[in-house]
Amino acid sequence: MSKTPASRGMAGASRAGRWARRALAVLIGAAFVFPFYWTVVISLGHPGEFSNFPPLLVPHWDWSNWSRAWHAAPWPRLFGNTILIASCTVLLCLATSLLAGFAFGVLRFPGRKFLTLLVLAVLMMPGTVLIIPDYVLANDLHLLNTYWIQIIPWGASVFGIFLVRQFFLTMPAEILDAAALDGASRLRFLRSIGVPMVRPALVIVAINVFLGSWNSFLWPVIMTNSNMESSDTVQPIEVGLSTFANAEGTDFPGLAAAVTFTTLPVMVFFLLLQRQFIRGALSAAGGVRG
Amino acid sequence: MSTATRARQATAAPTRPPRRGAARDFRATRWGWAYSAPAVLVFLAFVIIPTGYTFYVSLWKWNALNPALSKFKGLGNYRRLWESTQPAFLSSLWHSLYFTGAMVLGGTALSLALALLLQRGGALLNGTRLAIFLPHATPVIATSMIWTWIFNGKFGLADWILHSLHLPTSQWLQSSSSAMPAVIVYSLWHEVGFTTVVFLGGLATLSHELSEAARVDGCSAWQEFWHITWHQLKPVTVFVVAITAITSLQAFTQFYQLANGGPAYATTTLSYLVYQEAFVFSDTGYGAALAVVLFAVTVFFTLVRRRTAAGESHALV
Amino acid sequence: MRKRISAAAGLAALALTATACAGGGTSTPKTAPAAGSGSGSDAKSGGGTELAVPTGPVTITFEEAMTIGTLKPSMDKLVADFQAKYPNITVKLQGDPDYATMYTKEKAEVQAGNAPTLGQAYESWASYFQSAGKLTPISELAGTDTPPQLATFYKGIQDDTKLPDGKTWMWPFNKSVLILFYNADLLAKDGQSVPKTWDDYAGVMKAVSKDGVTGSTIDPGSATAAAFGTQWFEILAKGNGATLYDKDGAPHLNDPNVVKALQYLKDLKDAGALATGKNYPGETALGAQKGMFDISSAAGYGFENKTVGGKFKLGITALPAGQAGAVNELTGTNIVVFSSATAEQKAAAWAFLKFITSPEEQAQWASTSGYLPVTSQAMTQPAMRDFVAKNPYETAAVSELDTAFALPGFNWIFKCQGYEATAIQEALENGKQPADALSTAQSACAAAKAQG
Repeated sequence: MSKTPASRGMAGASRAGRWARRALAVLIGAAFVFPFYWTVVISLGHPGEFSNFPPLLVPHWDWSNWSRAWHAAPWPRLFGNTILIASCTVLLCLATSLLAGFAFGVLRFPGRKFLTLLVLAVLMMPGTVLIIPDYVLANDLHLLNTYWIQIIPWGASVFGIFLVRQFFLTMPAEILDAAALDGASRLRFLRSIGVPMVRPALVIVAINVFLGSWNSFLWPVIMTNSNMESSDTVQPIEVGLSTFANAEGTDFPGLAAAVTFTTLPVMVFFLLLQRQFIRGALSAAGGVRG
Repeated sequence: MSTATRARQATAAPTRPPRRGAARDFRATRWGWAYSAPAVLVFLAFVIIPTGYTFYVSLWKWNALNPALSKFKGLGNYRRLWESTQPAFLSSLWHSLYFTGAMVLGGTALSLALALLLQRGGALLNGTRLAIFLPHATPVIATSMIWTWIFNGKFGLADWILHSLHLPTSQWLQSSSSAMPAVIVYSLWHEVGFTTVVFLGGLATLSHELSEAARVDGCSAWQEFWHITWHQLKPVTVFVVAITAITSLQAFTQFYQLANGGPAYATTTLSYLVYQEAFVFSDTGYGAALAVVLFAVTVFFTLVRRRTAAGESHALV
Repeated sequence: MRKRISAAAGLAALALTATACAGGGTSTPKTAPAAGSGSGSDAKSGGGTELAVPTGPVTITFEEAMTIGTLKPSMDKLVADFQAKYPNITVKLQGDPDYATMYTKEKAEVQAGNAPTLGQAYESWASYFQSAGKLTPISELAGTDTPPQLATFYKGIQDDTKLPDGKTWMWPFNKSVLILFYNADLLAKDGQSVPKTWDDYAGVMKAVSKDGVTGSTIDPGSATAAAFGTQWFEILAKGNGATLYDKDGAPHLNDPNVVKALQYLKDLKDAGALATGKNYPGETALGAQKGMFDISSAAGYGFENKTVGGKFKLGITALPAGQAGAVNELTGTNIVVFSSATAEQKAAAWAFLKFITSPEEQAQWASTSGYLPVTSQAMTQPAMRDFVAKNPYETAAVSELDTAFALPGFNWIFKCQGYEATAIQEALENGKQPADALSTAQSACAAAKAQG
């Protein structure tokens, strides 16, 4: 970041401080990652070793847990389902957030305040009680066991709408005036000026919605049927992860292996997108500052 | 960055309608409904109408399998809730507030501290940023299973570390006093990555002129932080607090996975209690009443926060 | 995306035609041959006649949780065998990852008018469904409340198919009892012998708890789910001669004999011979050679064996006996037939239920899944004889099926087990007196009963 003359002047005194800061950062980073490291170690240990005490800290490179876990579910299919569901949800969410955020932040129409509050209230309702009514509705709409039921209900995000709205609220009035004088239609304005302006917010929304979709468990389990093995399964990866514990016992090293190889792609994904994301967050935080 | 600068320039409150007629025309349109419609329709179908249904059901001893057998109870479920002892309603409310308070205070302080630590660039600090964010990018269902193992009172990693450091060990999830702190440790681990990044974003948009001026005036690092940095970060903090408070009040999966609301109801929050009564015990009407109460609690805290955040008229939520 | 979905649908259709080529259809066509459906509807109206196996194509659905480990192939084998014998019937499995999810799903399906034909159910679940008129009694399928097959089941299993109204509403499925797993090498090294009574057990537990070993680690259960620890407590109480629950479900949780059982656990805990945990803690402690004993379901043998991983000799024996004699509790679920099924589906379901409890299939199922056979006739089957030869504990476990109890099937007994689990936690973790903890449980359970 920008080094100011003042901070450079104090450089000599703070060299020790900088090293202390780095050491602390490494320590904290290690603490956050350690549970993952240990998961990997357990997954590569011999099946009975996970309960050793003191705990196993170095992998033994026994891949038997991995092969057992790999055969426990059709992972590539489940992974594909997760990616499909998450991406569609993200796209839908971006569209709905953009439109509604624009409406709440820029447009003036009777009932706007009411709608804004109504949408805000959505955030406050505990989701668990809604699942069964939603199941009945999904059944009536013939949406059970489809990708649709895992996408559409999550295709609007209160968080996304309000973040986009926030960006539009901080937009200088001159831009609007200019657009109005040009005689631009609202949709065209939204497409050519609005989208680039709120892009940082959209990045944050995309990532948040993606993670939310990636995280969902109870919803897909209730809304979709079928054994995972059947070739038409529409279930996501979390359902596969949940099959390592049942009523008679638990296969912990197998679970550790499955967690490792299902999380790995996401980690790589974030490694690649890190810069994008942090930049998005930076600008979004600027937007929040309003 | 540029957006932030623009944001700062836009100091005039944009909620006031602009003066010029052309602009007003551009803004004022009944089509606003159409723009909101996709989102509102989704919410209407899957949240708002079921919520209305939940309010209705909360007045009945509801037989979910056969609604014809339901009996009208008026406020009976709410009265029952007040009289309940196993677990007591107030203790569940307290657990919700305990968890939410810890997450809001601990999470905000921790992520702010982490952001301050990591605000300078460099490969190393970037690596730490990523490390902190990673837990947030993994499913709760998977990582909470791993953490039950870490918290194992006999072979767990957590106990082993305490043991190696010659610190007193804990029963973690097995004891009523340490179960909630254990769930909080897990939740902080999982959630802090996101809020840290938000604070990092906030820090990056700070005015450096003010900080320099403060230093020239001879302010200590702490004074500088308190009077300048923290003050400027207020809107970001309000945002973080709001998001953390709402998600914490509604948090469920970690309670389900790590502790099943126990031992002896020590981690039974309102949100878990809703699940327990409505889902597990099929006491639909009573569960609905609990959900309505949790809804009211969340609304109440949002209103209080909005009041106290007066002046932040554009606060996100 | 639309393309992807239709591609998936195409694949699905292919798969269906491949597996069910003989039977064909994926749903129940209205044009089913009259022979099959005719006899079905006769039985329904008249009663007294058993539903005949349908001859036209029928699809039945089965909500089940046999989706992990060795259970899945065992389940698939049952279905494959059945479909080979009745090619016109297709059994569609609807697998769920765990029991809590399965129950939620069954409730959601019933509410949406979308119930499966068959579903796994615990007694209290069956009671809930039955109270809303959503179950088909076995008499409607078999023409009698006591079909001949029932008499071939072990006595405990027979009793477990009835709800408190005395009628048969369930058909047995994955049943088991608790057994005692132990570290045979370590026990021998400590110079102890296998305990025969619960008093012996306490003595041995205390004697072996040293050098980082704890006698046993249990999962006491939680307010929302009973665990093996909860069931062990119930077994101890019954072994002391307690009633726990009357036939009408009235609780006796503060009975002195129940308090004695909790005191027994508390004494062990205070002596450092008993620990508590979550997620099969006894199994892991045993495997890590940090626990001597684990009380678990006989069907958990595969998991125990894998956890032990050949590190020592895994001993298996029947549970010790109480003062009132040997007592054991049934674990696992039954199958219920939902009332929304069509006459053909009910007839097919009845054929399926009879088929899976036949001696041959039971032998197959028990020897591969680890659950116990529900009929003694299975024990003489070759598959079972081989299995027993390799797993001698099976004989002892099976012998307890005649006497093993199940808690009365009321919806709220589920809650009361949660109160029991909470009382155990209060006594073991929070230092509450057993009598106090149990009188709290008693009044909460009585209140739950009053709520209905």
